[in-house]
Order: sequence, then C-alpha cells, then structure tokens
Amino acid sequence: MRDRHEIFVLPTETSIWQRPIPVAAIILLALAIHGPLLAMQLPATTSYDANLHIFFASHYAHHWFNPWNEKWFGGFSQTTYPPLTHQWIALLSYIVGLTEAFMLVQLAAVVLLAVGTYRFAQLWVDDRAASYAGVLAVFAGSIAFLVYSAGQLPTTLSAPLYFLALPYFYWWCRSASWRALLKGVALTLAAASAHHVTLIFGSVLFAVPVLWLAWYDGREQEQPAAPIIGRGFVFAAIAAVGVGVILLPYWIAIIRHPIEQMPIPHASRSNLLMNWIYGMNYFIVPYGALLLALPFIVIKGASNPRLRMLLLAFWVTFLIALGGTTPVPRWIFGRAFEILTYERFTLWATVLALPIVGLLVAQVIDRFPRWGAISVSTAAVASLALALGWLSWSPFRTFSSLNVDSVVAFLNRDGHDQYRYLTLGFGNALSKVSTFTTANSVDGEYNSARLLPEMTRYGAAQLTSAKYFGTAGMDSLRVMLQHADHYGLKFTFVHDPFYEPLLVFGGWRHVESYDSGAITVWSKDDAPPARTIPSDAVPAPWEGWMWGILPIGSSFLAILFVWLLAEPRRVQGTVTLSREMPEGVYADRVRS
Amino acid sequence: MKWGLVAFLTVATVVLVAIAWLQSGGLKQHAMFAAVTPEEAVQALMSQIQAHNYQRAYASLDRSSDTDLASFTRDMAGSDGSLRTYSSLQTAEVSPLHADRDQALVRVRMNWSSALGSLDDVRDLHVRRDGSVWRVVWPKPAFSAVPPQVVSVNYLRWDVIGRNTSQNWGAQEVDSPKVRITSMNAISRPGRVVILGEVENEDTVPAYLNVNATLLKADGSPIDEEGSFDLISHVLLPKQVSPYRIDFPGVRMDAVKSVRMDARALLVSASADPVIAVSDQALSKDGLDRNVLKGELVNQSGRPVNIAQVLAAYYDDSGKVIWVSDGYVDQALMPQVPVPFAVDIPNDIAGRLKNYRVIVNHYTQASN
Amino acid sequence: MMRTSRGDFTLCKRLTGLALLCVLPSWARAAELQVPASVEAGQAFSIPLEGSGQATFYLLGPDHVVKRSVSLGSELPIQSGDVRTAGRYQVIVCGSSCTSAGFEVKAAQPAHLSFFLHPSRVPVSTPGSIDATAFVFDRYFNLVLTPAAVDFQITPASGAGFSRQVSTRHGAAWMRMDSTPHEGRVQVTAVLGNVEEARVIQQVAAEACALRMKAVTSGDMVTLETEPVRDCSGNALPDGTVVSFTKIDKAGKSTVDTPIKKGIARVQFSVRGPAQISVACGVVLGNEVALGGKL
Repeated sequence: MRDRHEIFVLPTETSIWQRPIPVAAIILLALAIHGPLLAMQLPATTSYDANLHIFFASHYAHHWFNPWNEKWFGGFSQTTYPPLTHQWIALLSYIVGLTEAFMLVQLAAVVLLAVGTYRFAQLWVDDRAASYAGVLAVFAGSIAFLVYSAGQLPTTLSAPLYFLALPYFYWWCRSASWRALLKGVALTLAAASAHHVTLIFGSVLFAVPVLWLAWYDGREQEQPAAPIIGRGFVFAAIAAVGVGVILLPYWIAIIRHPIEQMPIPHASRSNLLMNWIYGMNYFIVPYGALLLALPFIVIKGASNPRLRMLLLAFWVTFLIALGGTTPVPRWIFGRAFEILTYERFTLWATVLALPIVGLLVAQVIDRFPRWGAISVSTAAVASLALALGWLSWSPFRTFSSLNVDSVVAFLNRDGHDQYRYLTLGFGNALSKVSTFTTANSVDGEYNSARLLPEMTRYGAAQLTSAKYFGTAGMDSLRVMLQHADHYGLKFTFVHDPFYEPLLVFGGWRHVESYDSGAITVWSKDDAPPARTIPSDAVPAPWEGWMWGILPIGSSFLAILFVWLLAEPRRVQGTVTLSREMPEGVYADRVRS
Repeated sequence: MKWGLVAFLTVATVVLVAIAWLQSGGLKQHAMFAAVTPEEAVQALMSQIQAHNYQRAYASLDRSSDTDLASFTRDMAGSDGSLRTYSSLQTAEVSPLHADRDQALVRVRMNWSSALGSLDDVRDLHVRRDGSVWRVVWPKPAFSAVPPQVVSVNYLRWDVIGRNTSQNWGAQEVDSPKVRITSMNAISRPGRVVILGEVENEDTVPAYLNVNATLLKADGSPIDEEGSFDLISHVLLPKQVSPYRIDFPGVRMDAVKSVRMDARALLVSASADPVIAVSDQALSKDGLDRNVLKGELVNQSGRPVNIAQVLAAYYDDSGKVIWVSDGYVDQALMPQVPVPFAVDIPNDIAGRLKNYRVIVNHYTQASN
Repeated sequence: MMRTSRGDFTLCKRLTGLALLCVLPSWARAAELQVPASVEAGQAFSIPLEGSGQATFYLLGPDHVVKRSVSLGSELPIQSGDVRTAGRYQVIVCGSSCTSAGFEVKAAQPAHLSFFLHPSRVPVSTPGSIDATAFVFDRYFNLVLTPAAVDFQITPASGAGFSRQVSTRHGAAWMRMDSTPHEGRVQVTAVLGNVEEARVIQQVAAEACALRMKAVTSGDMVTLETEPVRDCSGNALPDGTVVSFTKIDKAGKSTVDTPIKKGIARVQFSVRGPAQISVACGVVLGNEVALGGKL
C-alpha cells in the first residue's frame, strides 16, 4: 500500500494512546499472533475444510491445465470452485510442500485481512479508529473461527482482497483516477478468483455502501452525483465482464449442472436459539467480545449520518449470519437458503462493524488511557482465546488429525488403485486420504460438485459421515454400496464400527485391520476394476487452459498494479487534531 | 432520526427473531414441554429420548410406571450391541387412541434411523393426568433372562490355509464352492422389477456368496445390473439354501426380454455357530393392520448375537417363490432368550402365499 | 512364464535383428552358411565359417539376439545358453558381404510337468467329473511337442489304485474319469519317465439319501435326531452340513437350520398339541413325523 490519500499532521503533544497504529505494526501483530499457530499447522488438524483445499491444490499441482479430477465422485470438475487459493498453494507446494504451502497462503490471507479491514475502515472513520479496526481484526473471533475451525481459506483470502479493492472503488468514483480503477478492478477479479460467493454478496453488502459513501462525500463537497454513480456502474460493468471471462468455465459448469440436489442440512442454517451449542458455535464464538459493543455500534452508527449505510449493511449481514434464527436469509435467498452456509457472514459482519468498534476503542482509550487500553486488549485477546479454546471444548470434532498413512499405503500397493474406495467414519480425513493416494473414491467432501444420483437424491453430504445425516445418509450409503460393482468400488475403510453391520449384511468381507483395529479394511471381492464414468461435466480443453491461466493471472495483475501504480502523494487538507475539536468537523472522516 | 433508527433496528431484530422462533416450532416446543395434553406429554418424552436425555425423560414419567431408569434406558437406547444401540430416534408421530378426564391411550410411531436403515417401533402408551400436567406411564420392559448356566459349545469351523496367489502355474489349488441358483422368478412390482428365488450351496465347504442379475433388452443389451445386497444370506454353510431378492427400481417389466443371473461364490473361513431357531412363526396383522409374519428367534448358542436379520421366502401353491422380505431385529439375541420378530408381507402376496420359509442372518461384534 | 526368466532379451536387440532381417536378404544369398537343420534346446554346436578376415555374427532367436565379432575361416561355436528357447533361429554373418541361414531349435527331453487336476473337490460316484491335464516341458520350460506317454496313477484313500497311460498331443496329455464311490482323499500323479507331479482331490459325499429322523418326546418338548446322514453310496455327509427341521403345531411354524455334528443333526422343539415335523438337507426331503395325531 504505497499510496496515501491523506496525511494527518499530529500535534507534537499528542499522547501515544491517541496516535494511529502504523500498518506495519498491524502486519507484524498479525504475523506474531497467527504465524506460530499456522506454523503449527493448526488448520490441518483442527479445521473442517483445510484438507479439502489442500486436496484441490494437489490436483492443480499435478494437472494444472486439467480441472477434471477423477479422485472424487467418480470424476468432478474443479471449475465448480474458483481456483486462486488452490493454485497459489499448488505453486508454493513445489517449494515447501502442500500443507506448508496452505499455511503460507492462509497466513497471507490473515495479514491481508487485517490490512484490508484497516483500509476499508479508513473509508468510514479516521486513521486512528481504522488502525484499531485493523488490530481488532487480528484478534477477531470470526477470523479465528473461519481459519482454525472452518478452514475456509478461500473466504478468508477473498474477503480482504475485496476490502482492499473497495477504497480504490471509492476513489475511482470520487476522482475518476484510472489508477484506482485498474487496481480496484484487478483486486476485485482476484477476489472473485478466490471465492465467488464473497464477490456475489460483497457486491451488495460492501460495494453498495461504499458507492453510497462516495455519493455522500461528494455531496458534502458539492460534487455532482451522476458522475459518481456513473463511475460506480462503469466499475461494476468492467468487473462483471472481467469476472465473467475469468470464471467462464465456472459459469459454464454451473449453467450446465445447476445445483439441484436435495438440500443437505447444515447447522449454520438452524435456529441458534433452539440449540445452545449451535448458538455458541455460530454466534458467541465468532463474535466474542464484539457482542458487548453491539449497542454502541447501533447507536453510533445511527447517530452519524455518514455511518448509517455502514450500520445498515452490518445489520443485514448480521441478520443473515444468524442463519435460521431470523427469517431474513430465507426471504432473501429463497431456495438458495438451503445451499448456502452462514458462518462466513459472521466474518463479513465483523469487518463491517469494526470501523465503528474502532471509534469505540478510541473513545474508551481517550477516556481511560491505561485501563481502557488494557480492557480493550483483554477483550480482544479473550475473543481470540475463546475461538481457539472452542477448538478443544466444542462437541464438534473433526478427524483432520486421523493418521491415514496405512490407508494410503494400502491403496497405493498391489494394484489396489485399480478399484475405487470408500471411507466410513473418516470425516474430513477423507481429503487427506484422497490427496496422497492414487486411487479414486466415489465419495468426496465438496458437495456442490456431486452428480452421482446415489448422492444427490438423498439430502445427505459425505458418505464417510453418513450416520450424521440420519436416514437420508444411511439410505444414500446403502444405495452406493448396492452399486459397488457398477463403480468398481472394492475397498471400504472403516473408522467407526457403526458401519460394520451394513457392510456385513451387504456382503462385504473384513480383510485387514490397522492401528490396533481402529481402522478396518473391507472388501467386496467380486467387484470389477473401476471404469471411467462417462460425464457431460468434463470441461473442454480450452476451459482447462483458461482456468489455468486467467484466475492466477488476475492475482499477478493485482500485485503488479498495486505495486507499480502508486497514487500520487497528495494532501487533501492538513488537519490538526485537537482534543477540543467538535465531532465530525474535519476531513471527510468520522472521528471518535 | 438517530433514536428512530436505533429503535427500528432493535425492534425489527427482535421481531424477526421472534418470527423465526415461532416458525422453528419454539412455541410448540414450549407447549410440548408444558405437557398440558396427553399428546404433548408423549411428544415431550419423545423429544427427550431423541436428545438422548434419558434421565430427564425418565424423570418426566408417571410415578406409577413399573420401570427403573436403567431398564427404561435399556428399553429405549438398547443394550448388548443390539441394533437399537446403532440407532437414534428420527421422528415420533403421536396420535390419540382414547382419552377421558384423567387417563388417555396414545399411539406413538417411532421412526429410528439405524445403521441398517429406518426402523419403525409402534407403541400404545397410557398417559395419566398429574395435576395440571400429563405424564406417560411407561410399561415394564419385558427383558427375559435365563438362569446362570454353563453352555458347552463345540461348534464347527472351517479355515482356509495354504492359499498363495503367487504360486506357479498349475500348482495345487482349492476350488471355489459350488453354488446353484435353484429357482428364479421375475415379477413386476409398482415402479420396479424384482428378481427373486433361492440359491443353494451344493458344496461341502462354506460359501461366501453374491447373486447379481442383469436385465436384458430384446437385442441383448443390458438395461440394468443390480445385486442382492442384504436380501440374501451371504455366508452359506454346506447344503444351506438362502432366498434372494434383487430390486430394479425404475424398470418396467415390458422392457425386459431376459435376465442374466450370476452367482459368485468364494471360499472363506466360516463358523457354524451360532444356530438360531425360528419358532412360532405365524401370519398375522400388526397394530397398523399390516400383514406380517411373526415369530420368535432363539439363539441356541452360548454367545450373544448382536444383530439378527430375518429373511423370509414366500411360496405359492406350486412351490414358486413369489416374494422375499426381510426385517432387522433391534434387540440382541442373548443365549436361549426368545426375541420376537415381525416382517412385512405385501397385501397381494399375503393373499396368494401358501407356504413360507425363514432363515436368519446375524452380525456379531468382533469383540464378543 | 518360463521364457521371461531369461533376462537378456531387450526390445532394442529385437528391433535390430528385425531390421537386419529386412535389409540383408540379398546378401544372404551371396554365400551359404552350413548350419544343422535342427538342434536340441541347450545343445552347443558350431558353424564352420568360410573366408578370411573379421566379420560380425548375429543370432536372432525367438526371445533374444546375440551379436559377436568372429574370425572367418574358423569354427563359430554356438553356446548352449544361446539356444535354450525352442523355435526358429536365424544366423547372419556379415564380413565384406552378409550371409544367413536358419535352423530350428527343438525342445529337449521332458523334465517338468505342469499338472492340473480339476476340481479340487468332487462328489462321489459322479461320472466324468474329474479332469486331469498334464503339460510336458523340457528343462528350459519349452513345451515338448514330441509325443510322449504320460502315466496318470490314481491312488484312492481306500481300495486299489489304478493307472491310465495317455500320449501327449501338442505337448499336453489329458484324461477324464469318474469319481469313485468312496469319499476321501484321492491322489493323482502324472508320471513321465523320471518326472512326476502329484495332486490331491477330495472326494466328498454326494446329496443326502434316505434322510430319516426320529423323535423322542419328553413333556411338551420333543428332541429330534437324524440317523447318521449318508449319501446313496453310504458316505457320511461331512459335519457342518446344514439340516433343516420344520415343525408345525398350534403355535405356528418353527424352523431350525442346524449343522450335522458327528454325523447326525439334533434339535429340540417345544410342542403345543398335535405337531407335524419334517426334515430336509439341501433340496433333499426326509421323513415326516406326526406327534399327537393329525393337525
């Protein structure tokens, strides 16, 4: 971030408590807090999706230009998920290995998230409050939750890219700076290449308030509204075309095979009041101490006209993040309500709230410099600690740390990889098995790409976790086992004796045990070798080339533009801060 | 404006949460736990069972219930590695049968999601008024027990030794068991074609068996291939006969020209234990007025059988197999203790059947 | 399987040989090489080479190629290891010009038998149920195509043994025979000269024959016990064979599938009122017992 739009000259007598925290310090803080946690590879052992993303990345590492992955569901197209994070992991994996590459990209995402929050907050509040927002982002429970519990790397990378793009969007609307346009569009394209859902919702929840802000600030400075709004639409049009082109294989895949499978239950869609564990998981833990600031957010947001749109955006996002606790998401998304998961909305709500929370922190510190700082720090650390502690205290357990070496070794020897396999009771360790084995499975962890009727008709997710989906899950598993011959499904690895009766009565034989019987291997001896399953979802070769070049290219372009196209240093107005200055009278920011 | 917006956001949030709470059945749940009607009392009890909260469920029972917590928990949660221990209550439909001022009879149809599919359990429960609330009178579970004794077990077992797939060409080998499909019948059922019949192990060693069928069109091309999956006894001892049934959902009989059968047998280690007697079999009607074949299973061996599957073949007056049905027993078969079972029979089959034969498959946990 | 044990074959050498075969036929006519029409596998021999000077010698066999520098005007020794595999060989000698000749390597004396006896279990007294097939190989595992007499010696567990001699055709000798009336182990040995290979077949009891049970009542219990279950040749069915008992009385129908133990199957039923009890083993029905009059 070499460009600076404004410079505030601080009076020499300003206390250290009243100075903005430098961006470098925020970055160092993010590295200091999350660096060790990621160096310990925590997401790989505690999160739900980290291994899934490593699996996707491993495919790109081996087949960069062929997004058709036969390791899951008898074959599925990775063009159904934007590839940026996976491709970056794949690139880095050649240097440091897959898991380590994931951690590096995740660390970059966390750092960018802190910086993105800071830059986004700068649009709404003064530098000091914005810097507090950046610092609080490092400790935010929702970020820790998404990184260490959910393992949603694409969401946590896409969001900061988008938040970093928004200030350029703002300046393009205000000043018609072509540099801002190029950087903003490039960052937006990179954000879309990382996670499409973030872009779709971000356009409404983040970009619209920023466009409104540009109009509002323009009006304050007697700038005509039409050019501002027009430029906003130009930006949107360019970004839309860019996203349309860069993610063209994704659109083709989604149009050809829209998600029509039976809805799969997800706890984030439930009414959090009806189940306190879910409430804890999706509300208390992600928001943490931020919940204490809710009254201030509402009152402060409502009292300052410039913050009202931000408040409304936060409120809508907050309501959506509550899942089934309010009818709002169901009203907004209709049938798509049953497809989306809502934990990522807590992250967005957090970032939308942090500018106002930054104001609160500044006020607290102004009033109680030492104890205010201590209490805010304590609350921030407690939020992070709660999210990390919840990894142990939560009744939800992942299987990421399951040792699957014996399973991988079995599949990779004696031609066992000529057949397909299934895991039962492996949870998200399935991705780990799939990453390192050469054999293919009929199961998989990425629900949106499933096309096999045995899976799409029953309203259950992974077969490996079938029992958690009740009758739907077990029926789906039963049908898949019935069709074992058709899919060349010969081996089933069981890490939960719950599934053994079905295998026994279904004609499977126990052939081996590993880890003192913790993992058993079952075989269907008469299953024929697996055949390629014909599919109309296989991307064309040109799609593979597009997919391998454009999304990662957009990220290189964004880095290049941000690095090379520095905004001319300019001073909009030199403002001397004074403790006696009345509220909201300087620059175009809101101060505490 | 400021306070107006604050008030709007606050009120709107509260209203929205309240709407969702009502939509999620919060009010209903509240009323249910208040148990001011017999149905609500049963629903509240089922809700506790669904949440595996047996202590609270037991505490909500009427004091006249002739059971203790351990028996109640065993009745609902299962024991001895039975199928019920692999199950969780999915839904409970409650319907009143009779009610007066202080007493009521309520039918509850519990649907359990189990490791082997969905299981139904229908019970008629007495409910009594206790002040302002109603409480379920839980009947005493009928757990039979046999006196302590020593059962001598000298069961037979077959082991396969000395097999080596890497041996030279022409080396001594043992053949797979010889099995024979003794009968096959293709019938049309609503929405599917069903292939059923019987298969016999003609050999003198146990066979591990799968029966597959391929439906063929007039031009010989396949329509669909399916296997018998759990509608067969996969382990057949010498001279043992098992019924099988293979379903082809979505296939119409008029599209089928012929059927290719494939019985694949493997030589495996096996045991002749346990022997399970099927006693007192009789055609009957269940509480929902469905045709069922009822009876009792008696494990004549010394070790518990955790899960038993009843497989019944029905014959018409010419001796042809006209239907095969199965059912899993959700209680463990403890040695010498009779356990009741019932398997469904379609109405049209019940009218035509002249004879039937029952065999029992079993699953025993490795640790037993 | 036998041929792949020779490790010196490479695709490269074979291609070289084939190329030479294509390119050199005109030179091959230039001069004749004196080679034997046929040799026995693994037998060394020599080829006289006319002329003087150095030349290159190629030997193209079915599974390998040999290339060597030789001196013309001397005897060219062919090592026994170069002609182990039976088949057609081509010799090419290239000096100033090339000459070639072909010869046949035939299998040596029989040294191995691959013997298939099928099935491994067979019911007694079943006509044409046992197949014995022997393939004759020399010590280099070349199939010996010269007719040879294989002696199949059959040794039942009880009774006198017998043998049958069969001449090989195209390297294989086979016979089919009936299983004997007595159960037990039957050893079949294929013998060719000093070479013999033994296999064992298990003759097992056939279907049950004249299955009978008797009932002993004690109060409301009835104990049913079969007579020793035998096939029509009098062989006892092996323990573990399942016998099905079916009882029909007022309580309904009861069935028990019980395995034979020590030759008999036994089961106990409780009986309410008149009862009819039947027994079966596989598809064979036994006698019926009626207790307490007709149902």
